[in-house]
Amino acid sequence: MTDHNSPASTALSHWLHASQARLPALFRELQQQLRENAAGFGTNTAPQRQLDPLPMLIAAEDWQLLEAGMLQRQRLLQLVLNDVYGAQQIVRDHLLPAEALFRAADYLLPAAGLLTQPADWLPLLSLDLAKDARGQWCVLADHALVPAGLGHLVEHRLAFNHAAPLQGLTLGKAQIAGFYRQLLQLLQQPVLGEADHAALVGLWITSVRNTNYFEQAYLANYLDIALVHGADLTFRDGALWLKTLTGLQSVGALLRFLPDPQSDPLELEPGTGGCAGLLQSIRQQQLCCVNPPGSSLIDSGVLAPFLPRLCQALLGEPLILPQAVALWLGEAEHCAKVIAGLCAYRVQRISSQQHYLPARLDAAALQQLSAQIAADPVDHIAVVLAELPHESCWQPDTGSFAAACTLRLFSLLAEGQPGTVLPGGYARLSTDGLSLQIPPHGSEIAQSGAQLVKDVWVLADRGVTASLLQSSSGALELSRHSGLVTSRVADHLFWLGRYNERLNQICRALRAALGLASQHHADPLAAQADMTPLLRFCLQANGHAGVLDLPQVLQQLFDPAHPGGLFAILQSLLLNAQSAREFFAADTWLVLDKLQQALRQWPQQSTVQVAAGQYLRQLDEIILLQTALYGLNNETMSRTQALRLMDLGQHIERGMQTAALLQIVFVPAHGEAKPSAALMEAVLRLADTVNTYRRRYRSQLHPLAVIDLLVFDDSTPRSVGYQCLRIQRQCAGLPLLTPTPGLSAVQRLALELVTLLQLTEPQSLFDSEQGATPALGLLLSQIQHRLKLLSDSITLAYFNHAPRSWLG
Amino acid sequence: MRYQLSHLTRYGYQRSIANSYNLTCLRPLDLPWQQLLNYRLTVEPGPCNEYSHLDYFGNSRQLLHVLAPHQQLEVRVEAELSVSPRLLASQLADGAGLLQACDSRAVSDVKVALCRQASRNIPHLPATAMLWQQIYRPDLSMLQNVARLNQLIYEEFQYDPEFSTVVTPIADVLAHKRGVCQDFAQLAISCLRSQGLAARYVSGYLETRPPPGQPRLQGADASHAWFAVYDPVLGWVDFDPTNNVLADVQHLTLAFGRDYADVVPLKGVLQGSGEHLLEVAVDVLALD
Repeated sequence: MTDHNSPASTALSHWLHASQARLPALFRELQQQLRENAAGFGTNTAPQRQLDPLPMLIAAEDWQLLEAGMLQRQRLLQLVLNDVYGAQQIVRDHLLPAEALFRAADYLLPAAGLLTQPADWLPLLSLDLAKDARGQWCVLADHALVPAGLGHLVEHRLAFNHAAPLQGLTLGKAQIAGFYRQLLQLLQQPVLGEADHAALVGLWITSVRNTNYFEQAYLANYLDIALVHGADLTFRDGALWLKTLTGLQSVGALLRFLPDPQSDPLELEPGTGGCAGLLQSIRQQQLCCVNPPGSSLIDSGVLAPFLPRLCQALLGEPLILPQAVALWLGEAEHCAKVIAGLCAYRVQRISSQQHYLPARLDAAALQQLSAQIAADPVDHIAVVLAELPHESCWQPDTGSFAAACTLRLFSLLAEGQPGTVLPGGYARLSTDGLSLQIPPHGSEIAQSGAQLVKDVWVLADRGVTASLLQSSSGALELSRHSGLVTSRVADHLFWLGRYNERLNQICRALRAALGLASQHHADPLAAQADMTPLLRFCLQANGHAGVLDLPQVLQQLFDPAHPGGLFAILQSLLLNAQSAREFFAADTWLVLDKLQQALRQWPQQSTVQVAAGQYLRQLDEIILLQTALYGLNNETMSRTQALRLMDLGQHIERGMQTAALLQIVFVPAHGEAKPSAALMEAVLRLADTVNTYRRRYRSQLHPLAVIDLLVFDDSTPRSVGYQCLRIQRQCAGLPLLTPTPGLSAVQRLALELVTLLQLTEPQSLFDSEQGATPALGLLLSQIQHRLKLLSDSITLAYFNHAPRSWLG
Repeated sequence: MRYQLSHLTRYGYQRSIANSYNLTCLRPLDLPWQQLLNYRLTVEPGPCNEYSHLDYFGNSRQLLHVLAPHQQLEVRVEAELSVSPRLLASQLADGAGLLQACDSRAVSDVKVALCRQASRNIPHLPATAMLWQQIYRPDLSMLQNVARLNQLIYEEFQYDPEFSTVVTPIADVLAHKRGVCQDFAQLAISCLRSQGLAARYVSGYLETRPPPGQPRLQGADASHAWFAVYDPVLGWVDFDPTNNVLADVQHLTLAFGRDYADVVPLKGVLQGSGEHLLEVAVDVLALD
């Protein structure tokens, strides 16, 4: 790499010599693109990588060796995996000691017998390599669980294709798009030979959001395959299915980024994130899993000491790319040698996957490690630490500097195919060469700060510069697979709509109550009487009841720890928003952030009178932000079923809460007074309908007229009638899961709601004294009950995918 | 001996569960000394989709998928088995010596090699190795020494169903000298593996009603467990430390594993939350 005689480094040093001045601009341009990409995926955090402006170059001759060596290794590892999970001949022949294999935590006994074709155990391989002191490439680590890089590589290459020519950096390099096309072909290959074109391909990630999310979302988007969580998948009829709004869709292949033990809670480790039945669907040859559970045995490093002799035994030839020297301490001579010079090694414990860097340990810890090894040598492997070669890098603050470097490559090898190595790579650099030799799960010695990386170019003989990849400058458009909304995401959007509206209704009622307090400040008793129903509503709306004195209600509502408080609702809202983040524009996150701040800035004054104005301004702001959120989503979300679900959630909640509020105000418990004019006006104001009322009725406030406007009038956006019509319209647009004559259960409930209102005679709800008759209370209860049934029914049909016959 | 076996497991849920998945290890093995004459597994409520496969040890596993919403799940096994007499205590002397039994290179069966290794539930513990020091006599065969270990556990450990659960670590069992069949089996396995011997966990059943005049054995009202040790001359030999006997015609073998975790009779994953209650009823009747 620092070989200055190769044509590659000559070309690069020529460019460097001529264009030192262009480096800052190239650096800026690349970082800018990485930042924009990250922002486009709703990941606000700064990129965890810094892309060096100088690519790492590999000459064509060098590349041929790497290519042949990597495919040989992949073939070997496939045979080894197929054997350790099958016939176990290599264990019987003592090529791989049972003591080492069976202690490895990554050796998963339930995966035994899962697959019978060697290639199926490891269609996609990643390797970490470095050049040794003699300038020869050797392998540091194998990965079956896709490590960082496969998605970043695309991003880096696009960024370079866009920025480098502008800066005059043009070198003929091999194109990488073909590799991704082949990956896609492999995933889309029909399983069991059936031509099932409808089968989906998913990129399976953990449900816990981590720093890898961006890369995985980016890759799913680039390959145009669905990004799925375990909760999106379900096992049925021997196969896996994706739960979507339009029903269950069969899944033909999964590109798995989820750790092996987590991927099937039934047969592997219990927990969330996986999918029960995964192993069974692989066993039944209904699913192509890249790579299958059990394959991570190669990641554990337990095979490393034995690969040279396994290669000789299984392939009849030596390893083309040598293995970094690894020693199994179960052999006495190795053990003595390693204990004598511990600091030259990295030590790993086979059974616990723990890694140790003796060079970084103090005397006491070193002694403890020696004792641990001596007590159970067969449980340990030692790997000779390599002196990593240095590559030159550039940064604005420091200018040129050298950093230790490892190279990560990716290859595909399917049954009956010649295999392909991605002609490019992902180089990780660090000024601390030791940290690069610790596997990523070695959590004890975790790396901090942004990872310095390089794009790796394989120089092509022909000067090909035009890429088959589209060079896109801005953030990529998300979710092009737009017809596909998974049930999990739809569920979150539905509840996002509901919580957003709940928060809004409570704030509106609170604002109305505070308005009454300042209106009646001369008459505290009247104020108390008028405010009580509104306050009761505020507490009841999120399922809590309690004290009815204004300061206490305020305290409860704004107490961050109170389960019925506004923070709790906002938390639920945010949680649902985060879980469906690929559907939101960056502005939405800005508003959500401001909303959180507005709630936190609630004044601490104890006396309501003093702070009433301040409270009101604060509530105004919250309500305004929520309106902005509602508007933004209508403006920016693509018009898919997803938006429909959020809209349904919002309007079902609004219908329920409005009916609940009217019930509290107009259907007084025995002995309570009829609502005062001031209270009725506050209710109208709350629903933004004071002016409509005045225009239409030109009269004093009559309970009947208020109910008419807020329940039956279907042109008032906050009336129950309006909600019902809107819900009915949206339900009609929901996908039909199973074609049946007549209406679906959801549509039938919506129709019942509309009909219930149409068939009710408003006059029958009040007596001659303008007092509410029992019919009013009954009607409002029926509305709330039917809306709840509707919500449950949507959940059952679209989110849980219960079979139709149980929907009633 | 022929036996009629019934094993009922019942779960109750607080809320209605749709889509429940269970993995069973409930079909008794067919073995040289045991014939499975009849076997039927039924699930309530139906319909239930069943998928079967053999695991690494050759145990038959069934994945059960109940789609219909249910608040109670019942898995019932009815089986008929015939069990023949096995090794006599007097034959233990015919087995190999300790050194020969520990020689891992002499045996080509990989499953034996697997059973020499520590497993998740049975890690290496220096304290269990100490048990071996207490009983070991160099003049006896390996199996005779194992019989002494079997007796030691029987005499010094208290059978106490209240003490342990399926997740109680061996160290706790050792410290308190109490436990149930599962604990005693895993304790013995830990001790044997510490000596380099191959030992496996055996899950099974005991005859519920003893022949007249004989005492009812411990652990007969539920699933039972014991261990087997590998002898290069005699093969796998089963010991029941809970009752200080060699497994014989009263012992019905269900499955083999490295430890309990490999042969959990029924474990489930369900969608939706809610506590579940477990009720297990086992009945083993001698037919002749």
